[in-house]
Amino acid sequence: MTRTIANRYPDAASGGDPAASITLTMPLQPANPGQPLHRRHWLLTALLCITVLGVSVVNPAFVTVQNFRDLLIQCAPIAIVACGMTFVIIVGEIDVSVGSLMGLLAALMGILASPAHLGLAVPWVVVITLAAGAGIGLLNGLLITIGRVPSIIATLGMLTILRGITEMLMGGEWITDLPAGLRTLGTGAIAGIPISILTAAVITAVCIACARRTHLGLSSYAVGDNATAASLARISTTRIKLTAFAILGLLTGIAALVSVPQQSVIESGIGVGFELIVITAVVVGGTSIRGGVGAITGTLLAALLLGGIRTALVFLKLGETATYWERAIQGAFILAAVLADHWTGVKAWLIGRRGRTGAVAP
Amino acid sequence: MTRFARTFAAVLGIGTLLVAGASMGGLAAAPDQPKKTTICLLPKKKGLPYFTTCAKGAQEAAKELGVELIYDGPTDGSPEKAASMVDRWALQKVDVIAVSPNDPQVLGTAMKKARDKGIKVITWDADAAADSRLFLVNQATAKDIGYALIDAMAKDIGGGGGEEPAGEVAIITATLTAANQNEWIKHMKERLEKYPKLKLVATKPSNEDQRLAFQVAQDLMKAHPDLKGIFGISSVAFPGAAEAVKQAGKTGKVLVTGLATPNDMKAYVHEGTVKSVVLWNTVDLGYLTVRAAHALANGTLKAGDTTLEAGRLGTKKIEGDQILLGQVLVFTKDNIDQFDF
Amino acid sequence: MMAPRKRSLVQEGVLGILLIATLAIAAWLDGPDGAFISPATQLELSTHIFDLAILALPMTLIIITGGIDLSVGSTMALSAVTLGMLYEAGTPIWIAGFVAIIVGTLAGAINGIFVARVGVHPLIVTLASMALYRGLAEGISLARPISGFPDGLQRLGGGTFAGVPISGMIFAAAAIGCMLLTARTVAGRWIYGIGDNERAASYAGIPIARTKLWLYSLSGTAAGVAALIAVGRRNTAKADIGSGIELEVITAVVLGGTSIFGGRGGILGTILGVALIHEVREFVSWHWQDDKLILIVIGVILIGSVLLNNLASRSRV
Repeated sequence: MTRTIANRYPDAASGGDPAASITLTMPLQPANPGQPLHRRHWLLTALLCITVLGVSVVNPAFVTVQNFRDLLIQCAPIAIVACGMTFVIIVGEIDVSVGSLMGLLAALMGILASPAHLGLAVPWVVVITLAAGAGIGLLNGLLITIGRVPSIIATLGMLTILRGITEMLMGGEWITDLPAGLRTLGTGAIAGIPISILTAAVITAVCIACARRTHLGLSSYAVGDNATAASLARISTTRIKLTAFAILGLLTGIAALVSVPQQSVIESGIGVGFELIVITAVVVGGTSIRGGVGAITGTLLAALLLGGIRTALVFLKLGETATYWERAIQGAFILAAVLADHWTGVKAWLIGRRGRTGAVAP
Repeated sequence: MTRFARTFAAVLGIGTLLVAGASMGGLAAAPDQPKKTTICLLPKKKGLPYFTTCAKGAQEAAKELGVELIYDGPTDGSPEKAASMVDRWALQKVDVIAVSPNDPQVLGTAMKKARDKGIKVITWDADAAADSRLFLVNQATAKDIGYALIDAMAKDIGGGGGEEPAGEVAIITATLTAANQNEWIKHMKERLEKYPKLKLVATKPSNEDQRLAFQVAQDLMKAHPDLKGIFGISSVAFPGAAEAVKQAGKTGKVLVTGLATPNDMKAYVHEGTVKSVVLWNTVDLGYLTVRAAHALANGTLKAGDTTLEAGRLGTKKIEGDQILLGQVLVFTKDNIDQFDF
Repeated sequence: MMAPRKRSLVQEGVLGILLIATLAIAAWLDGPDGAFISPATQLELSTHIFDLAILALPMTLIIITGGIDLSVGSTMALSAVTLGMLYEAGTPIWIAGFVAIIVGTLAGAINGIFVARVGVHPLIVTLASMALYRGLAEGISLARPISGFPDGLQRLGGGTFAGVPISGMIFAAAAIGCMLLTARTVAGRWIYGIGDNERAASYAGIPIARTKLWLYSLSGTAAGVAALIAVGRRNTAKADIGSGIELEVITAVVLGGTSIFGGRGGILGTILGVALIHEVREFVSWHWQDDKLILIVIGVILIGSVLLNNLASRSRV
């Protein structure tokens, strides 16, 4: 099985005799040679630049420090959760419950912090919220590994369960009296950089380093690429998957802590549809939904691009009617980004070379 | 035996069981029991403080009158789910269904169906087609709301000094398909003609998402540097927009207004981001609705009546088929502390 | 012919028991009146589910091939808006309906082309077209509602023929068609073959791309039909029709024992899954009048049934 790994990732061979040691290495060249991952990154960067340049020609107000700052703040929770989601998707699973978890943690945070409810001190609120996030992530992981429930089913169930519990906790009220200390997490800045951007930057950096350098990161790729091979290499699939889900839950907690207190009101609808935004960012960013391939850089670029398009549409001032087409424009953009990456496939289809049996999925 | 045959047999078997179960339930004899009047109150969306406060008033009235009150609505605000609830209540043969339609067409169809079954149906909070209900408990028509929002904004921007209000304004709505908001926007545009120097530059959806409303408000302020006012006309769009203005340091320069319960917006009103909040007494609205429903159920309220005895609210006027709650309230710094709901 | 569906009968058994249990509890709570469980009530309430049920049929087939279609709700909206705009412009309703179904089919076919011919992962394609199609529906209609459809269409949505809902008959016909397709035809074997092992299926000469293209188009057709039913039921065509229904459809299909990894599952399971979700939803709302409770109960049943199934068939990995 060492040969399997070595063949998949030719770099492993250069690191020594592949038969002698199972040295896991970052799959610089992903399993699918048709779509090198770095091309996707360049593509996203190019699209991002084109969007920024195009909009700034029409409306120079788009290129201001303040606007980029706001754009980054807006993308921060997406990026933080997407880091965790990238891990989960790399190990070959998926989690569609992050939006509901975000809502539940927001409600929990509000109830813990609000003087009208429990009024705990901010450090306690932070600790309990993070613990709850990680705990529910772990529960997802347990259902999937020990309970052998496919991840999409387990998390689809959790999506509705957590939302229901959130509604119960909130009881039809809003929480509007968040203490100033908690609000600072969402609105404050350290050395002029908003806390949410700082947190997102640190987490992204840590996750990129983890993915490339640590045993956990490399094992994740191995598990996602070929679980059998990974377990033959003495990697505990169960442990890796549990860790991935717990990390995702923890990161959702962090995202909730830095993004929810940015707003003055906590209500039961926080995080509805958030999972789709995150998953879109991850897959547009080039992480293969089949597992084993992906990188956080792409996720980050995609999150920026998707947020940028929405903002750009406001700055373009296309008029009243155009508002109704915004969703279509966003959808077309996502589709275009995906298709541009599958250009060989598109060409092949247009030329009709693939014939009747068609493409075997890569 | 082929798989298809097995499958078919299984379907048949389960079908038989279903029918058997159904008929068993149907066969059981029904003893007569004294029936309490049941009133169903359907909000547009359950879980909003606006409707929760309405429900409080409704419960108060139900207690006074000794009727059974069912308060339920879709937590996601889906009109289709709300219509299903009306269907179910009609089948349960409740006495009165009071509907706040999140979509007058979708709910109207279900309400007509319920009326065909002999259920008394009224609307409250918002209206549907006149032939789908008997009465509307009217706190404010779409026109009143639209006009009040524009007038409040015009007054806030003009500074009350008698000068003509001028500047750009924008609307942040719920979703593009939100029926009530679209109706309000129509009347808001109508009213804007009275203030020729107020220019509506954008109407953007926020998909009932506070963060999105916050971001849209930020974008609007940057894309339109001369923006003077933002209308946040869905539940969370209002605080979202106000927070964006506050964090951008534009308190007092960009004014925000909208509909909200006073308790939820007090902080913004006191610091000046929001000068006026438009609403009515929601507790009284719920109270009046249940009073009207009860009067309808026991026959004291009939088409053509011109007044309704409404408990602690006294006698309420009825104009045509509309039971009037009273005026639209505008909460400002001076009076908002007098209200607690 | 090898029966390709291995474990799903266990899941179907679990579902059958759950369904009977639900109805038994319903009958018990009903008391002597028997209002909820009475055939008349059940028939009328059933009209709430047939649009979802029709969408679940092609979704089952697509999931069996290892794919997914997240765009069904948006396709519904596109078809509904097409129907409304055409009818409003004076087109006879049956032509408008026909065109709406064609539009749905084309929307599905576009997904199919990207999935089958270009080779993009179905989750990504349909995530994008989910936004695109709903956006088109909003753009074309400017988010306006269109109402005032003729009786014929309203009967299609909520009407009955000989006491049976017409939408139910359409669903029954479609369900029998899909059962025959999976159980009796070569194409049915292809569907399972593709899902079980696509590479092997390719070597075996199965026309993978063509099969997928047909399935995604079929999903679009179903969305068109579901749109007619949903529009007819509430006499309203609007761009928000079917929002969020894709997750409910997928929930019903996976609850029915169809493996999300492909190759296993079947129409019967899906029918039971749909029936269980429908009964639980109606019943919980009927007796407890609390919308949030439904969310929790459905989630618990979804996870619980698979856990139960895993206990019952220990062999599954």
